[in-house]
Amino acid sequence: MKILTTVKKVVDVELNIHVENGAIVEDGLQYVINAWDENAVEATVQLKENNGAQTTLVTIGGPDNTDIIRRCYAMGIEDAIHIDDSSLEKADSYVYANVLQKVYEQGEYDLIITGKQAQDTDNGQTGIILAQNLDIPCVSNVVAMEVLDDQHIKVSRLGDAGTEIIELELPALVTVTDSINEPRLPAMRGIMMAKKKKINVMDLAGLGTSFEEVGGNDLKSEIAEYMTSETRQAGQKFEGDAAQITAQVVNLLATEAKVL
Amino acid sequence: MNPLFMSILLIVGLAVFSRTMIQKVQLLMALEPTDRANHIMDRIKNMVVIAMGQKRLVGRKKEFASGLMHAFIFWGFCILLIRSLNLYGEGFVKGFQLPLFGDGSILGYLYIALKDIMEGIVLLMAGYAIFRRAILKPARLHNTWEAYFVLGMIMVLMISDLLLDGARYNLIVLFNNPDHLHFFNNPQYGAEFAWTPVSVGAASLISGLSAETNALILTIMFWLHIITQLTFLNFLPLGKHFHVITALPNVFLKSLGYPHEQTKLLDLEDESVWEDESLGINHIHQLNWKQGLDLYTCTECGRCKEVCPTYTTDKPLNLHDFNDSLKFELLDNADNLIKRAKLAASIKEDTDPEKVEEIKARMAELASKKALIGEVITEDTLWACTNCRACEQVCPVTIEHVPRIIALRQGQALMAGEYPQELNPAFKGLERNGNPWGIGYDKRAEWADGLDVKIMADDADVDYLLWVGCAGSFDDRSKKVSVSMVKILQKAGISFAILGKEEKCTGDFARRTGNEMMYQMMAQENIETLNNYKVKKIIAACPHCYNTLQHEYPQMGGNYEVIHHTDFIDQLIKSGKITLNKSFEGSLTYHDPCFLGRYNSIYDQPRSILQGLSKQGLKELDRNGEESFCCGAGGGRMWMEETIGKRINLERSEEIAGKQVTTVAVACPFCLTMVEDGMKELNKDEEIMTQDICELVAKNMA
Amino acid sequence: MAKVLVIADIKQGVLKGSTAELLSKAKAIGAETAVVAIGSNIESLTSELANAGSDTQYIADDPSLELFSAGPFASCVVDAAKQFEANMIWFGFSEGGKAVAPRVAAQLSCACATEITDVTLSGEQIEVVRPATANKVIQRIKINSDKVVAVVRAGAFEASPDITGTQNVVKLSSPAPDLKAVIKELISDASGEIDLADADIVISVGRGAKDQAGIDLVKELADDLAAGFGSSRAMVDGGLMAHNKQVGQTGKIVAPTLYMAIGISGAIQHLAGMNGSKTILAVNKDPEAPIFNVADYGIVGDLFEVVPILREEIKKLRS
Repeated sequence: MKILTTVKKVVDVELNIHVENGAIVEDGLQYVINAWDENAVEATVQLKENNGAQTTLVTIGGPDNTDIIRRCYAMGIEDAIHIDDSSLEKADSYVYANVLQKVYEQGEYDLIITGKQAQDTDNGQTGIILAQNLDIPCVSNVVAMEVLDDQHIKVSRLGDAGTEIIELELPALVTVTDSINEPRLPAMRGIMMAKKKKINVMDLAGLGTSFEEVGGNDLKSEIAEYMTSETRQAGQKFEGDAAQITAQVVNLLATEAKVL
Repeated sequence: MNPLFMSILLIVGLAVFSRTMIQKVQLLMALEPTDRANHIMDRIKNMVVIAMGQKRLVGRKKEFASGLMHAFIFWGFCILLIRSLNLYGEGFVKGFQLPLFGDGSILGYLYIALKDIMEGIVLLMAGYAIFRRAILKPARLHNTWEAYFVLGMIMVLMISDLLLDGARYNLIVLFNNPDHLHFFNNPQYGAEFAWTPVSVGAASLISGLSAETNALILTIMFWLHIITQLTFLNFLPLGKHFHVITALPNVFLKSLGYPHEQTKLLDLEDESVWEDESLGINHIHQLNWKQGLDLYTCTECGRCKEVCPTYTTDKPLNLHDFNDSLKFELLDNADNLIKRAKLAASIKEDTDPEKVEEIKARMAELASKKALIGEVITEDTLWACTNCRACEQVCPVTIEHVPRIIALRQGQALMAGEYPQELNPAFKGLERNGNPWGIGYDKRAEWADGLDVKIMADDADVDYLLWVGCAGSFDDRSKKVSVSMVKILQKAGISFAILGKEEKCTGDFARRTGNEMMYQMMAQENIETLNNYKVKKIIAACPHCYNTLQHEYPQMGGNYEVIHHTDFIDQLIKSGKITLNKSFEGSLTYHDPCFLGRYNSIYDQPRSILQGLSKQGLKELDRNGEESFCCGAGGGRMWMEETIGKRINLERSEEIAGKQVTTVAVACPFCLTMVEDGMKELNKDEEIMTQDICELVAKNMA
Repeated sequence: MAKVLVIADIKQGVLKGSTAELLSKAKAIGAETAVVAIGSNIESLTSELANAGSDTQYIADDPSLELFSAGPFASCVVDAAKQFEANMIWFGFSEGGKAVAPRVAAQLSCACATEITDVTLSGEQIEVVRPATANKVIQRIKINSDKVVAVVRAGAFEASPDITGTQNVVKLSSPAPDLKAVIKELISDASGEIDLADADIVISVGRGAKDQAGIDLVKELADDLAAGFGSSRAMVDGGLMAHNKQVGQTGKIVAPTLYMAIGISGAIQHLAGMNGSKTILAVNKDPEAPIFNVADYGIVGDLFEVVPILREEIKKLRS
C-alpha cells in the first residue's frame, strides 16, 4: 500500500497573535508542524510498521519547511516531496488541492491521509475538496483506521450521531483528528538518520504545472483583513455568605442577563 | 605449631583467594574506565571518616544501637588483624611475636588488652546481630543463610581465639605449663593474663578439664581459628561480605565535590555509538569499574530501602535488589566480559581494518545477552526513582545509585527509544516553547507585568540575573513566589534583571530522564543566551535550576556563580539589606528539598531565615535535613503519574500534617506543588498553608 | 437578490434550533430562503421547516438516507442548490456540515467558508467573517466566486421570534449511494440525554465536585433546568464522566444561552469549548480560579453549599 501524507507548517497557536493594520504581526512568531498533520504522520508510520505500507509526505511551503520534513523522517516517513514555489504564498484551499492533485497523479497512491484542518486557517476543506476532485471516497474526522486488505480499509469517524464505522474502497482519502493517536516523539536514532535523508524539492514547474493552472490567478476567496479576536472579559464576582450571593446572582440571571 | 600444615593451609587458602580476587579485579578492569586517581588527601579523609570512622552508622541518630554494633564488629576486625598475623606466625614458629607488638613494649601489652576486650565485645555484638536478625527481624534486613553463616563464623573466630587463649592460660597457670608455652612476661608490665580478663574468663569455663584436654582444646581451637579465617577470607568475595574487602577502597574512590558521579556529556553526533550501543548503559559491561566496585560492595543492609520514597510507598524500586540484580548480571557474564576486554585490548592502531571488524564481531558475541531493562531490571523500577539521593546519603559504603539509574535511563531513552510516554507532552513543550507545559514562550514574563522588573534584553548591566524557571514563570501558584522574590530584591535594592522570553527550561528533568538530546539542546541555547549577556551571577529560586546551572552547565561552557534564593536571602538578612520581623504567627515547619539539601548541602540558611521570622520558632519534621523525605517530583516524576502504590506526596503531606503545624515552608516549586496538592487531598489545605520561604519573608519584612 | 439555501439540521427526527437561526439571518439580510432536509421519514417536518423561515422546502426522504453519508448528502444539497439557484448555501455547525460543505463547494466550484460568524452582502459582493488560528484572530473574507458555501458557527445567528415561511415542497430524487464508502455500523452516543450541542442551558461539572456524590448533586440542578449536563476534562479523565460529555477543545464545543461551570477551574482547553456561550455563570471555591476571568457572574463558594441554594432560588423564581 502506498500512502501520501500531507503536512503543513503553521504558526504555533500557543503564542499570542497580534493584529496590526489588518495584518498579523509576524515578529516573535514561530512556526511548527500542524498538530493534526502530526496525527496523520503518526497514523501513516503506524501503517508502515503494522502493514508494511510505503510512505511519502508532501508539503507546500518555503525552505523553512525542511525542519518539519526532517521531523517526519525521524518519525519514520520514508520519502518527501517539498513543493517550494513563492507564488503559492497566496493560495486558497482549491489551489492547495490542485497542487496536491498533481503530486498524487504522479505516484500510484492508494491512500491519502491529511489532518482534519490546519491550525492557521482552521478551514478543514483542502482534503475534502481534493477527494472530490479526484473522485475518490473520503471520510473526515477519523479516529481509527484498520487495513482490511489491499483494496479496503475500515475507519471510525466521529459523527454527530455517534461513531460511524465505514469501509472504504481504495484509493481513498481520510482526514484524521487528534483522538486517533498520540504522535511519537522522534527517537534519537530516527533524528540522526533523518539528517542525511534526501528531500525531493521542486517548484510548480518542476511539478509539471504552473500557478495559473492550479488556479492561483483565480482565487475563489481572499482574506481582506485580519482583526483582533475579542476576548471575553470578566464579569461580576461575588464573595461572601453563600445564601446571600447565590440569591443575588439568580436574580441577576433573571433580570439582567435574562437567561432564566 | 605445625609449619607444614600451616604452609599447606596458607598456600591453598591464599592461592584460592588470589585466584578469586584476580578474576574479580579483571572483571572490573573489563568495564569502562573512570578517573579516580586524584585528590588523594580528600579521599583519604573520606575513607578515614566514613569507612574507618563508620560515620554513617554511628553518626546517625536512627538505629544508633545497630550502627554501634556493626562499628564494633568492624573496629574489632581491624584490631584483630594484628592478632591474626601473630597466629599465622605461631603456626610456623613457636612463641612468634610480631615486632613492636611483642612483650618487649607497652604497645604489645596494650594491644593484647585491647584485643581481648574487643574479642569479647565482637562476640557480644555478633550475638546481638543474630538476635536482631532472627528475633527482632527489622524490615530492612534480608535474612539469608549467608548472613547467619558469616555471623556464625565471626562468633567461631572469637570463641576459638578466646578458648585458645583460655586453654593457654589454664596450661600455663593451672597446669604449670608442661609444653613450655610462651606468654608475655615483661618484668615492667607483668604477666600477660593480668591484661586479658576476657580470655581468663574463657579459661575458667574449661578449667575443670584435664591438662591433656586443655592442650587438645588449644590445638583444635588454633587450627579451627586458622581454617575458619581462611574459609572466611575465601567466602568474602562470593557474597555480600565482599564489602569487608572492598568497602574501604570503595569509599576512598567515591565521587568528590558533587555528591555523586556527574552525568557524562554524551557526544550525540558520534555515529559509532550506534554500533557499540554505547549511549548510556545498555549492556552490563558499559558500567565503569567504580560502578562495578559499587556492586561488589553492597552489604545488603537495606538502609537505602528504608529511606527510599518510592520503596516505602510500595513501588518496585528496591535498591538492594537493584544492586543485586546488576551484580548477578555482571558476575554471570564475568568470563565473557574478561575475554571481551582482552579482545578489545588486542586492537592496536596499526591493526588491519578487516581484523578489527573480526575482533569487534567476536566482542559483540561476548556481550551480555539479557536486556538490562526488561529482563534484569524492570521498567517500572527504573522509572520510579525520584533521584532524591536519600539512598546515597545513608549508604554506609557510599554506593552511588542515582548516576547508574540516569545512565540506564539514557540507554533506554536514547538508544531503545523506550521511556514513559507520559513524558512526551513535557518534552514537546520543551522543544517548542522552552517549558514543559508547552505554554507559548511569549508569555514567559507575563508574571512580572507591572512589577517594574528589568529585562536583560533592555538592560543587561545588572549585578544579578534572576533565573525564574518554568514553574515560576508559568505555574499560577509559583508565579506568586516569583513576585515575592522580586519584592524582596527590590526592597534590598539589588540590581537584577530577568531573561524574560529568552529564558528556557534548564533541561534538568530531561537529563534526569535520560533524554540527553533534549537536555543538551536546552543547555546550549541557554548558555548561548547567558554568555551573550556576559552573565556572571545568577539567583535561582528553584533548586533544580540552581543545581543544573551551577553544576551541569560548566560541562558545556556555561560557568556562572549561582546562588539559591534561600542562601541569597540569608545573606541579605545577615548584611542588613533586609530586616525580618518576628511577626509570623502560628506554628511552622520546613520541608527540605532534595536538590537543595542532599545535592547541595544547603540546610542552615533556610532555617536561619525561618527562625528569624517565626514567633514560635521552627518545628522539625521527623525526616528532616539530610534525611528529608522527597516530595516525589524529582527525576522527571513531576510529569508522570504515580500509578503504583501510595502517592509519595501524600505520604509526606501526612507526615507534615502529623506535626500539627499551621504552615509548612518549602524552598522549591516542585515541593510547593506536591505538598500543597497533598494537603488538598487530605482536606487540610485550609488548616495548613504551604508557603515558599520567600513568600514568608516578603510578608514579614520590615 | 440573494438566495440562501439552508441545510436543515435534523437529529433523530427532530429539527434542531440552528435551522431557524440560519433562516432568520438569511431573511435579515433580505434573502429568499429555502431549506433542504435530508433523511428518512422526515416528511412530517415540512410545516416545521416552513415555520422556521423557509419559503421552499427541498426534501430528500429515503430509507437509504437514514444514516449520514457525506457523498449522498452532498448530492442532495447540490441538487437543491442548483434547483433553487442558491448563491449562498449554509450549514449549521455539525460534523456532518463540516464534511459535506467542502464537497458541495467543490461540485459547485465556489468558495467555502468554515465557522462563519457573520455574512454581509453589499450588492453582489459577499463577505464573511470567521475566526481562525484557534480563535486568536478574525478574518474578513471577500468571496470572489458568485456562490459561497458556509458552515455557520454555533450560536452565531439568532432566531427571530416572529419569523415565518411558506410551505412549498419540492421532492428531491434519491441520490446514488456511495458504494465506495459504506457505513457498516453506527455506535450511538448515550441516547435519551439532552444533547449538549443544542441545549439552551448547559451545566458542566468539574474537579470541585470530587466524586459521584458531587456529580449527582450537580446533575439534579441540570435536571431541574432540563439542561445539558457536561463535564470538564478532569472528570472524564478520572473516569467519572463519559467522554461524550466533555466540553472543551478536544471535546464538544457548545454555545448555549446560559453556561454554568460548577467546580471548574477554567483551564484554557475548557474555555475553548464554552466561551461562545451567551452568559457564563461560574461557581468555584478558589477566588483566583481562571474561570472567573471569563464568567459574567461568579460565585466564590463551595459548590456543595451553593448548588442546593441555586436550586432553591431557581425553584422560587419559577413559581
